[in-house]
Amino acid sequence: MGETVLSLEGITKVYPGVVALKDFSLDFRQGEVHAILGENGAGKSTLIKIVAGAVEPNAGFIKIGDQSFARLSPQQARSLGIEVIYQEFNLMPSLSAAENICYGQKTGRFASQRAMERKAKALFDEFEVAIDPRALVRNLPASQQQIVEIAKAVSRSARILIMDEPTAPLSIAEVEHLFKLIRKFRELGTTIIYISHRIDELFAISDRVTVMRDGRFVATRETESTTRPELINLMVGRELKEAYPERTRAPGETVLELRGVTGNGDSDISFELRSGEILGLAGLVGAGRTELAKVIVGAARLESGRMLIDGRPVSIRSPREALSHGIGLIPENRKEEGCFLEMDIGWNISFASLRNISIGPIVGRKKEKALATGYRDLMRIKAPTLEQKVKLLSGGNQQKVVLSKTLAAKSRILIFDEPTRGIDVGTRQDIYRLMDDLTREGISILMISSDMEELLGMSDRIVVIAEGRVAGTLEREGFSQRAVLELASGGSYKETA
Amino acid sequence: MKQLKRYAIILVLFGLIALFSALSPYFFTQQNLTNIFVQQSYVIIAAVGLSFVMISGGMDLSIGYQISAVGVTTAALVKWAGLPFPTSLAIGMAMGVFLGAFNGWASITLKVHTLIVTLGTMTIFQGLSYIISRQSVILNLPPAFKFFGQGFLFDFLPFSVVLMAVSVGIGSFILNFTWVGRQIYGVGSNEEAARLSGVNVKAIRMLVFSICGFFVALSAIVLFGRSGSASSSTGPGVEFTAMTAAILGGVSFKGGEGKMWGLVTGVLILGVLSNGMQLVGLNTYVQYIVKGFVLLLAVGFDLLQKEGLAKGALRVSAKQAA
Repeated sequence: MGETVLSLEGITKVYPGVVALKDFSLDFRQGEVHAILGENGAGKSTLIKIVAGAVEPNAGFIKIGDQSFARLSPQQARSLGIEVIYQEFNLMPSLSAAENICYGQKTGRFASQRAMERKAKALFDEFEVAIDPRALVRNLPASQQQIVEIAKAVSRSARILIMDEPTAPLSIAEVEHLFKLIRKFRELGTTIIYISHRIDELFAISDRVTVMRDGRFVATRETESTTRPELINLMVGRELKEAYPERTRAPGETVLELRGVTGNGDSDISFELRSGEILGLAGLVGAGRTELAKVIVGAARLESGRMLIDGRPVSIRSPREALSHGIGLIPENRKEEGCFLEMDIGWNISFASLRNISIGPIVGRKKEKALATGYRDLMRIKAPTLEQKVKLLSGGNQQKVVLSKTLAAKSRILIFDEPTRGIDVGTRQDIYRLMDDLTREGISILMISSDMEELLGMSDRIVVIAEGRVAGTLEREGFSQRAVLELASGGSYKETA
Repeated sequence: MKQLKRYAIILVLFGLIALFSALSPYFFTQQNLTNIFVQQSYVIIAAVGLSFVMISGGMDLSIGYQISAVGVTTAALVKWAGLPFPTSLAIGMAMGVFLGAFNGWASITLKVHTLIVTLGTMTIFQGLSYIISRQSVILNLPPAFKFFGQGFLFDFLPFSVVLMAVSVGIGSFILNFTWVGRQIYGVGSNEEAARLSGVNVKAIRMLVFSICGFFVALSAIVLFGRSGSASSSTGPGVEFTAMTAAILGGVSFKGGEGKMWGLVTGVLILGVLSNGMQLVGLNTYVQYIVKGFVLLLAVGFDLLQKEGLAKGALRVSAKQAA
């Protein structure tokens, strides 16, 4: 292991009323992958921002090499070789991959398209990915955008690369690929600060893990010599019970049946969802799972095939009709498609069921209040009042608001797209418990997930989609990571037959 | 303190009233204040319509020429076609709703931002208006028509101000109390989320433009009734006054936000400004400059107070969490 390249000494950052970081000290060594673990609100983002120069600490020092800083400007951080890949990409969608990578860098006196493309091509070759340097970023799938983002950072000869939840938009196979890249950088001596909610990943990629809680340093462990339960305990400061609720109930009658559903890039999809069942929908990102969800709720056109609810054929041409048949979608992009960020909690919860709480054209304020209060208590939404704007809630609580909204509309069939993406461990447990409770009341859940653990832990059955087709179905006894991966990557898994 | 920030726009209005009262003895008289209301009533009515479109996340640049087209059509029906005024009025109002619905239909079909769509229809309505009026001024509108702009109820209540109050009331009621109003805010706040929550977004878009067309047509009748004659050049420009007032009053350009009282306050600020500056003796061009600065200040202040509110709320939630 190399020498120390970056050390934080007694960093404290106070926001009005909140201590985000308290006397935080940590050393990063050259050529290590250093994972930072902590629940949402543990101070990880603030830490990154301070290292990147986006936020000024109130106290403490940042030492880089033999220089010591009380604060950094973004330009300073960059010139010292610190690059950050944030959760939200900082790419320009209307520019090409090559232009994004070279943005703000000199490639000669004038910007030369050819030089930029050559540079981008060289980087992509090095990463062994086939991305057209001329492709516009907005036309690239999320996973390739991620690689463009990484290439951008690398091309600036980063010495310290900070990655915030880099695997969130990636599928299982792409994660493997990313890890290969990370290992390559490590060999070149780059220090990687890696932030993720997915504990399994940390074991796969990191050399050391630092756990944070409530803005404080808790512990640093050599990854080799720690265990998952130990990390979880350090992180939450309390013993967690079973990660997933035990699924014992036998599913009932078929409530939703797809027969040869084709449209939105998927073809000939057939499966059944039973009452009280959690049916996992596995597959690589881009396999067509979210696209299928859109077809089912009528947000995208059904080209051919049929859908049956309770054995009766239905025609669903809009999300409105889907809701009237009791099918509700909880989208993967909470902020863009799920909630109304500028509106308050009560407003959000009642939004999909306004007519049920209205007397004629007028919204019944008392009924609305009762509805919202009921769901707040049921879902354990943590907020001082129902008048709190949803944008001020944590991701987990926002998810609970969207779930409440969908349930309030009397949905019996929930399509849950990536139910816990970007949600911290504690709240995940809440969501899992809620999903289990709901199915006990006869609600059926179609769960799209790219989180392997979650798929295997929560599903009663798993349907694997590959390239827009059903690649196979797994019963609970046949669940294994290998089976899902094989099917998802287009292989055939023998034991399914 | 929070309340103070929220209602700062009203304080600005009172501040301006105080300022002009001090500068001119003619400003704070019953006569002049009534004048301001009468002068601004048609702008407020049009702005009520526009606010529906803006809250749903759209924009309507065509309302100026909608006013022009509806006004000259109604006048032509009365004066040239010899139809009775109530019939002409009904046709005029229906035409307003139709023109609005056309905007809605075009924006749904073309899937282009409403700003662009109404930029196109603005020109269409302009041509329509000049063809109908044959580029002439229709003089001597009948007394019933003039009553909408000049008449008084019970000898003291200007009818235009009554119409304005009713429009604000209806607009306020729909937006604040009905589920349709909620859906309008929802579409403006997050269109995709609204669609997935079962809102018929196309129907909402048709509805807001039709409602806008209705109020704009009413505004046209008031405006033309006040001038007593009809010409195609009357109306254009209202879109920008209404937009400025809406933004002053806190209706967001991005949609999903805005209240009627803010809108009314916005229009009145502009009205008080131009009236007051006139009385003080500033010329029209100086007035333009002042109005422009007022808008910029208002937008800047709006951003500031939103940041302030967000911080305040964070503080509150942090305290609760601790």
